[in-house]
Amino acid sequence: MVQLTLPKNSRMTTGKTWPRPEGANNLRKVQIYRWNPDDGQNPRLDTYFVDMDSCGPMVLDALIKIKNEIDPTLTFRRSCREGICGSCAMNIDGINTLACIYGMDEIKGDIKIYPLPHMPVVKDLIPDLTHFYAQHASIMPWLETKTNRPAKEWKQSIADRKKLDGLYECVMCASCSTSCPSYWWNGDRYLGPAALLHAYRWIIDSRDEATGERLDDLEDPFKLYRCHTIMNCAKTCPKGLNPAAAIAHIKKMMVERSV
Amino acid sequence: MADVNRGNRPLSPHLMIYRPQWTSMSSIFVRITGIGLLLGSILVVWWLIAAATSESAFGFIDGLLRSWFGDLIMALATWALFYHMFGRLRHVIWDFGYMLDVDKSELFAKAMVLISFLLTAFVVIVL
Amino acid sequence: MAYLTDRKRAEGLGSAKSGTKHFWKMIGSSIALQVMIPLFVFTFGMGLGGTFEEVQAYFSKPLPVIIMAASLIVLISHFTAEAAEAVEDYMHGMAEKLTLLGLNALAYTLIAVGLFALARMAL
Repeated sequence: MVQLTLPKNSRMTTGKTWPRPEGANNLRKVQIYRWNPDDGQNPRLDTYFVDMDSCGPMVLDALIKIKNEIDPTLTFRRSCREGICGSCAMNIDGINTLACIYGMDEIKGDIKIYPLPHMPVVKDLIPDLTHFYAQHASIMPWLETKTNRPAKEWKQSIADRKKLDGLYECVMCASCSTSCPSYWWNGDRYLGPAALLHAYRWIIDSRDEATGERLDDLEDPFKLYRCHTIMNCAKTCPKGLNPAAAIAHIKKMMVERSV
Repeated sequence: MADVNRGNRPLSPHLMIYRPQWTSMSSIFVRITGIGLLLGSILVVWWLIAAATSESAFGFIDGLLRSWFGDLIMALATWALFYHMFGRLRHVIWDFGYMLDVDKSELFAKAMVLISFLLTAFVVIVL
Repeated sequence: MAYLTDRKRAEGLGSAKSGTKHFWKMIGSSIALQVMIPLFVFTFGMGLGGTFEEVQAYFSKPLPVIIMAASLIVLISHFTAEAAEAVEDYMHGMAEKLTLLGLNALAYTLIAVGLFALARMAL
């Protein structure tokens, strides 16, 4: 039976409230999920106060400021700070997004930050994405061809190339997959919105010659059909992509070839 | 994914912290109404078999369905039927590849709630 | 520790190469709902509220009986499929299989009993 509540070792406790910075009068309360693998304790929710007058506008700016000035043990992934690397995906204000491109002005009240939902936590805001990446690899995210390699290049018309727009931009941040209730309950078998969006990107690539095999591999009650079009994925994608639509089009192709 | 979990890693919070969306809420209610209606169909079948059996058997279940509690169940079931009908209509539209963007899906969700309530009110008044 | 590679875990038991039939069936039964639900609501609603004799008389006419019989089959099959999908989502292992079998048994029983009741009143 699916467990709707958290297992015993995962229940959050009220954590530490860190001191307010001195001399600041534009403070914002930030609550952050903390878990230290080394102290043997349950996760906790720590409270920080950030001086907004000396902080950048994005959630990532606040996280970096906290790490630099208040608590150097706060752990999170970040790299490009412009929404192209996908490292800083986390749950902010109840939705999954990239901390670097989510403005704090979009949040009413206190800022609550958790790691991506329903994932094993490595430390603080860092989830273990091993299985997510392996699922991505399992859909063969590369060009598969059978015809002899052309002398120069595989050609693609402008119209066919346009079909990849809205798909190739995915940065694999895992926001969509970890927003999906179906992925929460059946993530071991259901591929999830991100992997399926990538699968569709290769299925409709005019140069790819493994379309049938790709559809064969996906035609499964769990790998594909656990998608119930709940749409959390499309709603939350920080890049504005629509995995739900990509999955719907895969299902449509399945019907197309069997009915 | 317990077997992927190295060490005693906690599971990050999910349902309890994720913001409810029009799309996700309208979706779970399609499921809830579907299961509820399967249970509700037991009452309908019970009523039918009682009507085909004897006056006393019929009197019991008919009395139950026409009491205030029965009226409440019937009104809820009527709403659930209409809501579920529109919910599945939305699935059909999605499955044929239309209205797949978030805005249209949310609009449909709101329309589903509104129209199913209006139709229920109509049925309750007429019948 | 099972020393499975990440890829092996992700592949699982591979693709069952099924599911599309069920998907297509649900599209069909969803479209059927658009017709059957309004018909059922009014047919059942008009039957409910009469005395024992009135109800028996109502179900001796062909149209209410045919609509009710079709509703029982279409609606109960659809709701059972819907419930089965939920069971597949939320339950696993032996409990899941037994619940699925139980669900089907419930559906067949309901349909059979309902059809028998209608036949008895109609004939």
